[in-house]
Amino acid sequence: MRPEVLHPSTLSDALAALAAYGEEARPLAGGTALVLLLHHRLIAPRVLICLEEVRELRGFQFAEEGIRIGAMVRLQELARFPQIRERLPALALACREVGNIRIRNQATLGGNLAEADYASDPPIALMALEAILEVHGPNGPREIPISEFFRGPYTTALEPGELITAVRTPFPPPGSRMTYLKFRTRSAEDRPCLGVAALVAFEDGICRELRIAVGAACETPQRRPEVERLAIGRPLTEVVIRAIAQGYADQIETLNDLRGSAAYRKRMIEVHVRRALEEVRDGHRSFSAGAGC
Amino acid sequence: MAIGRSVPVRDAEARVRGAVAYLADLRLPGMLTAKIVRSPFPHARIRHLDPRPALRIPGVVAILTAEDFNRPGAPRLFYGVDRKDQPVVARDRVRYVGEPVAAIAAETPEAAEEAAQAIEVEYEELPAVFDPLTAAKPEAPRVHEDCPGNVFLHTRLRHGDLEAGFAAADLIVEETYTTPPACHAALEPHGVIAQWADGRLTVWSATQAPFVVQETLAELFGLPREAVRVIVPPLGGGYGGKGYVRLEPLTAVLAWKVGGRPVRLILERSEEFVTLTRHAAWIRIRTGVRRDGTLTARQVEVYWGAGAYADITPRLLRSAGLVRVVGPYRIPAVHVDAYGVYTNLPPAGPFRGTMSFEGAWAYESHMDTIAHALGMDPLELRRRNLLRPGDRFCTGEVIEEAFFWECLEAAARHVGWDQPYEKGEGMRRRGRGLAVMMKSTLPRSRSECRLVLRADGVLELHTGTVEMGQGAHTALAQIAAAETEIPLERVQVIGPDTAQVPYDATTSASRATSMMGAAIREAAARLKEEMRRRAAPLLEVDPEELILQGAGVTLRGRPEVWIAWEEVLRRHGLEALEAHGVFETQGGLDPETGQGIASPHWHQGAGACEVEVDIETGKVRILRYCAAAYAGRVINPALATLQNEGNMVFGLGQALMEQIFFDQGQPLNANMSDYQIPSLRDLPEVLESVLLESPEGSIHGLGEMTLPPVAPAIANAIFDAVGVRIRDLPITPEKIWRALHGE
Repeated sequence: MRPEVLHPSTLSDALAALAAYGEEARPLAGGTALVLLLHHRLIAPRVLICLEEVRELRGFQFAEEGIRIGAMVRLQELARFPQIRERLPALALACREVGNIRIRNQATLGGNLAEADYASDPPIALMALEAILEVHGPNGPREIPISEFFRGPYTTALEPGELITAVRTPFPPPGSRMTYLKFRTRSAEDRPCLGVAALVAFEDGICRELRIAVGAACETPQRRPEVERLAIGRPLTEVVIRAIAQGYADQIETLNDLRGSAAYRKRMIEVHVRRALEEVRDGHRSFSAGAGC
Repeated sequence: MAIGRSVPVRDAEARVRGAVAYLADLRLPGMLTAKIVRSPFPHARIRHLDPRPALRIPGVVAILTAEDFNRPGAPRLFYGVDRKDQPVVARDRVRYVGEPVAAIAAETPEAAEEAAQAIEVEYEELPAVFDPLTAAKPEAPRVHEDCPGNVFLHTRLRHGDLEAGFAAADLIVEETYTTPPACHAALEPHGVIAQWADGRLTVWSATQAPFVVQETLAELFGLPREAVRVIVPPLGGGYGGKGYVRLEPLTAVLAWKVGGRPVRLILERSEEFVTLTRHAAWIRIRTGVRRDGTLTARQVEVYWGAGAYADITPRLLRSAGLVRVVGPYRIPAVHVDAYGVYTNLPPAGPFRGTMSFEGAWAYESHMDTIAHALGMDPLELRRRNLLRPGDRFCTGEVIEEAFFWECLEAAARHVGWDQPYEKGEGMRRRGRGLAVMMKSTLPRSRSECRLVLRADGVLELHTGTVEMGQGAHTALAQIAAAETEIPLERVQVIGPDTAQVPYDATTSASRATSMMGAAIREAAARLKEEMRRRAAPLLEVDPEELILQGAGVTLRGRPEVWIAWEEVLRRHGLEALEAHGVFETQGGLDPETGQGIASPHWHQGAGACEVEVDIETGKVRILRYCAAAYAGRVINPALATLQNEGNMVFGLGQALMEQIFFDQGQPLNANMSDYQIPSLRDLPEVLESVLLESPEGSIHGLGEMTLPPVAPAIANAIFDAVGVRIRDLPITPEKIWRALHGE
């Protein structure tokens, strides 16, 4: 049976439709993941609620403290948007590395997060950026910090009837440097075997803040604050970098798939956390330096 | 001159605009949708199969099961181009995950899908075997009851005194190389439409071999060949996966059960992975060599994992499976033992670079191991041993057209082989590698064509050659134009359609341009002869005095006495003038000794590359690649270059990423997200193509020549960079990393 497609134009209409059809409905954002699920008959909803025309889910909003990205913003827009490239280069880099141009022109940020595929780039960058997800549902709006959003592969904290409406990303402390490294083991359009996002803020050469998120090698994107703390109050020396890289490798439980074994991924975490830290320490122009490793 | 010009592919714009009518675009009145019910088990007995629940679903028109073949007048259940071991649908036993057990014809895809779910099948699982080496052991589970040990064919090549050869060696090197099953991954999936009318069958199929399909179906239904018509729309890629017979028997028998309505089957992407794969190959290669680099003996043992049914493997094993694993070298003693082995995996068959890819992977990696052991430059080792014109190959054939060295040398030159080289010291190390290969085409085959010159001045070329995006129809039209001197714009290509065009063996093995091209030359000569004969009385001269020039006939030495072809036809009251052309090759090897004629000519290609290896991750980047092929004569330089570049990109995927993973026979990555092929961004920074021509050269195909060298050239460059030898394809970063870090 082909599902019926609804085209609400407001958030309240979309939520009302979700509430009305419950389990029988699926929200449709860019469709790059959902259409495959439909095609492979892994899901068989009666109704698709197309979010394309929902005004509240579109566009960017800038404020002093950060940027609010509508859930229906395309990954390619994020990769290209000048202020994102300038203020949140790790996010732009991560989005630029997804699939290919055809995928990025279609896939949305909200859809990407809701899918919660473990092998995905944007969530890893958003972990390091401490993004907050704005969610609307039958019980009104709520916020979910990204660190609490992913519950496992393809599993999120969203309740039935809830939609991601926007992603709020605070600007990092002044003087921060950040990067995103994607490691692929097969084609240049592959999902990541491993992704590492790193953000560091220095004051007089001393590390004031360090955030490292690792994903795709594990079930959900991960941070290890106790390992990050090794750097605080110190210059980012080779010894510190190696200790942190080792710490991440040791403390993250990696998984096996066709892109690499768990053991290999542990060592790749060590290599790429180190490389990401070296990159931000040396102040490479993180954006143009590229992440196409 | 129409030859040697880079005219664009005839349907290029239509293809790009999406205007080409592929099989999936054909709509016939009353057409039904077919769906296959497939086995979920790699090996099982079918205890019970009940289609009745599915028949009650609205829109279901017919369900085909093995029972139907018991009816009087029913077609045969078993088919196969060599041995008839494959059932159209499984009768009492399934032998691989994905084997058809029933087929449904329904009014809608939804009804067909629902019916597929409703058919009740009870299985009793049987022990299964997956890799060819294990399968070939006497105690292994039998895939076919009548084939203990699962080896359905053992062929041999015996050349020279092997013992003496090894005795004469200063060094003997033995290695084992493997290649896994892979998917052809043509953009267009397999598709067939079949329709019966008045006891005659019409089949539209995305096939590379319309006449093989015709013959097989005629035999299956006990019909004369003419009662089966096979029409081939343009294909969206083939790579061997659409060669010989695939889903035509199933679709045709389902249509037979339906009665008169057309039935259409188009595979889903996941089904492509269980329809035909590359062979899983295990190759042990042992070579004796003197200190000066002279090869003295080579022994090759190959297990070709053919999957559950023999398909084309026996035919391949009698020639390709022997001669494509030796290498283009002058070796006094060569023994090859090739085993065709049944396993509980989907059938294996032709795959662009068939068996040459697996062979070259082994023998060209092996050559570098030997060079390293001797402390010799790999190019120099090859130079000392490569076949030269007049040398005898291990089949006993004397190789006349031999340009292996020229190809290899050209490729090596492009990567600066003789220049000093800095490998680097940091995390990223560089290395260079090269490889060369020798590939046979079909030893014995025939191509025919018809040229029809119409009174309106159009020249029709009727050909069974399949256009699948490779540009064959463009190249053949160029040959027809050149041979008849009719302007290329006035050449029309018609076919393939078995009711309209004469016989052609198959579009595969890089044979179309060379074999069909030769048939066209012959037809053109006849057409011109006929034209002279017809023009002579009109000009009141002897035919011998006439020459053909441009699109007309002229009196020798008197260019003002001239008559146009159209005029000749008009004056004779003819609507058209026809000429038939045939080109046939005779050959074949003795299956006990591998002696005879393996190929009418030899495909020759080489590659050289420069790579960078990240020693911390094992990740390889190809910095520069040069693919050099012997083309004989280039028909269309732009298309020829594209073929060459396509070989390289195709080979890159096979070398670095492509593999169908099976877990106890279940495919784990049967989709294009989990089975990765190269993207444009995977191309080397510099990709060069060299096409060697020779003044007296014949036309050589180019669809495969530079593909087999890709994997060993890359592996050899990796060895040069970091000293690690990978012997199991694909060369993944993790394999390199493990070899480097001893894990």
